[in-house]
Amino acid sequence: MPEVLKAPLVVEFPFTRSLGPVQSAFLTGLRERVVLGVRTGDGRVLVPPVEYDPVTAEEIRDLVEVAPTGTVTTWAWNHAPRRGQPLTTPFAWALVRLDGADTALLHALDAPGPDTVHTGMRVRVRWAAERTGAITDIACFEPYDGPPGEPARHTGAFADPVTGIVAAARLDYTYAPGRAQTAYINALTGRRTVGERCPACRKVYVPPRGACPTCGVATSEQVEVGPRGTVTTFCIVNIKAKNLDIAVPYVYAHIALDGADLALHGRIGGIPYDEVRMGLRVEPVWTEGARYPDHYRPTGEPDADYDTYKELL
Amino acid sequence: MSKEPVAVVGVGQTKHVAARRDVSIAGLVREAARRALDDAELTWADIDAVVIGKAPDFFEGVMMPELYLADALGAVGKPMLRVHTAGSVGGSTALVAANLVAARVHGTVLTLAFEKQSESNAMWGLSLPIPFQQPLLAGAGGFFAPHIRAYMRRSGAPETVGALVAYKDRRNALKNPYAHLHEHDITLDKVMASPMLWDPVRYSETCPSSDGACAMILTDRAGAARAPRPPAWMLGGAMRSEPTLFAGKDFVSPRAGQDCAADVYRQAGITDPRREIDGAEIYVPFSWYEPMWLENLGFAGEGEGWKLTEAGVTELDGDLPVNMSGGVLSANPIGASGMIRFAEAALQVRGQAGEHQVDGARRVLGHAYGGGSQFFSMWLVGAEPPDS
Repeated sequence: MPEVLKAPLVVEFPFTRSLGPVQSAFLTGLRERVVLGVRTGDGRVLVPPVEYDPVTAEEIRDLVEVAPTGTVTTWAWNHAPRRGQPLTTPFAWALVRLDGADTALLHALDAPGPDTVHTGMRVRVRWAAERTGAITDIACFEPYDGPPGEPARHTGAFADPVTGIVAAARLDYTYAPGRAQTAYINALTGRRTVGERCPACRKVYVPPRGACPTCGVATSEQVEVGPRGTVTTFCIVNIKAKNLDIAVPYVYAHIALDGADLALHGRIGGIPYDEVRMGLRVEPVWTEGARYPDHYRPTGEPDADYDTYKELL
Repeated sequence: MSKEPVAVVGVGQTKHVAARRDVSIAGLVREAARRALDDAELTWADIDAVVIGKAPDFFEGVMMPELYLADALGAVGKPMLRVHTAGSVGGSTALVAANLVAARVHGTVLTLAFEKQSESNAMWGLSLPIPFQQPLLAGAGGFFAPHIRAYMRRSGAPETVGALVAYKDRRNALKNPYAHLHEHDITLDKVMASPMLWDPVRYSETCPSSDGACAMILTDRAGAARAPRPPAWMLGGAMRSEPTLFAGKDFVSPRAGQDCAADVYRQAGITDPRREIDGAEIYVPFSWYEPMWLENLGFAGEGEGWKLTEAGVTELDGDLPVNMSGGVLSANPIGASGMIRFAEAALQVRGQAGEHQVDGARRVLGHAYGGGSQFFSMWLVGAEPPDS
């Protein structure tokens, strides 16, 4: 069996977050070098704060300043920091209970090595030089052997509060399309479209997925389809999509290649957009170096009869 | 042993808008949940379990919303489940919650669905750049428009039907204070004159992008007996799924949708849905899906759905009103949209729908679908409890 294709897939997006009153105060506080918690109905102070009481479910808004010093309650050593983590050199992930708080905050602890970190050790906030109202305004924690910090009694009301943040998310995958799609993609390099036939219902799947979704059985018999086909239905795209460099208007069509039991999608060219119709016979137009046909153009054959493609819309 | 009858005793929604920048996601869901509790005159302590749904994680990038939202929904120390069935999720979330009551696992369940589209990017979330694959060539509406053209060809429907649906739903929305779009100066001419985006789909025939949440309190017979306002009773509920693509898939009238509706009608003893059902809240993201789903749901024969729309049968004062609330065309917080359909059906049979109330509504259908016509979920609710 030829080698199965693989490729990296990176998914990233800058999500926005509206903060609501409590997270707004917390992050604005960090910008001003003030750490705020919230007092619950049973008198505990939660840092980081939440909007709703975990015990009673009531809304809680009583903000309380805590000290920038605290105690490590547990930790784990990070030997190999990854992209986007708070420090570029090895550090401890630590849960730190700040003085005045009843819960612990997760952050990085900058320490020379795991031998220098222990549960119960005293630490303090190292503030970032540039602060914007984000958890990264705390650059990290650092070992500290001075007296506990003295929190002021900040109310949580700030001029110019931060109301939203951008939370960039990124996921790295290795994508493998599998045996059947690998064969399909490899055939495309020779400008051939090869599907697979279901041994039970005899339907030809293009692109093949290695199994028939209707019968639930594996497919393996390869069947070349096309290159000609029939436009089974379509729309005229008049609005430019952000990520597509295609001049509008253009026709986006479902195309049943001859011999296939499922329509593919493609653009129709070589004909004015308002003359495209259901039943139009088309063939692929390839451009050098592209994996898929650039578009499909009319073959000049008479239109297909509706009954021949009505199951392939 | 028979199933426990399930009653809806509380409904809450946020005012659906383009962007709720004043609240976190927690604050948004809380608002809907609080309103549902208030409607039922219950407190957090009365809730035995919480079932939550939203559209795919990539939309907001919150990978485990159920974990993050437990505090806000009073779920600490209680079972909390998350349901995940793409655009139909609001409906299937309600059904999972209902099944917990029907099976007597829990007495009273809070169910909720939400989407904060202003903090997400649905189009991006649905079109990740998968290696080797041909990119989608058409944008959001381009997925739906060819199916609509197929319906027009198959049914012979006149081109104006889509605009009639949009005009009706937007007028209905004017009577619903929670709807996102309130187009006070809407006219049929304006709908017809709006830009053709993905021919045959005009701008005014598409749904908006909304922030919103919807919640319901579901309970058993004992809970219903204590309810301060008339409950809605679940008479039937079902879910079906099928692959997004397979040889023989009928996007105009998917088999899973037909089977799902048939199951609901069987449970409810409905043999003639057109006559026995008083209204329907149907998931119509593009106007033409009203006539398509009327056929899929058995309210009209094949190729006949558009005739109901054209004759005014689906208007608020018609004899089968559809999307009395204004529908998805007037508010689309994606994950919540299905639950809004279910909740609006409940409001109708409770007589609590306000200005968009259908007089004497006794049985109303709530419908949701999603994932490229892959998932369907529906319930029929009634003013009277099921025979038991």
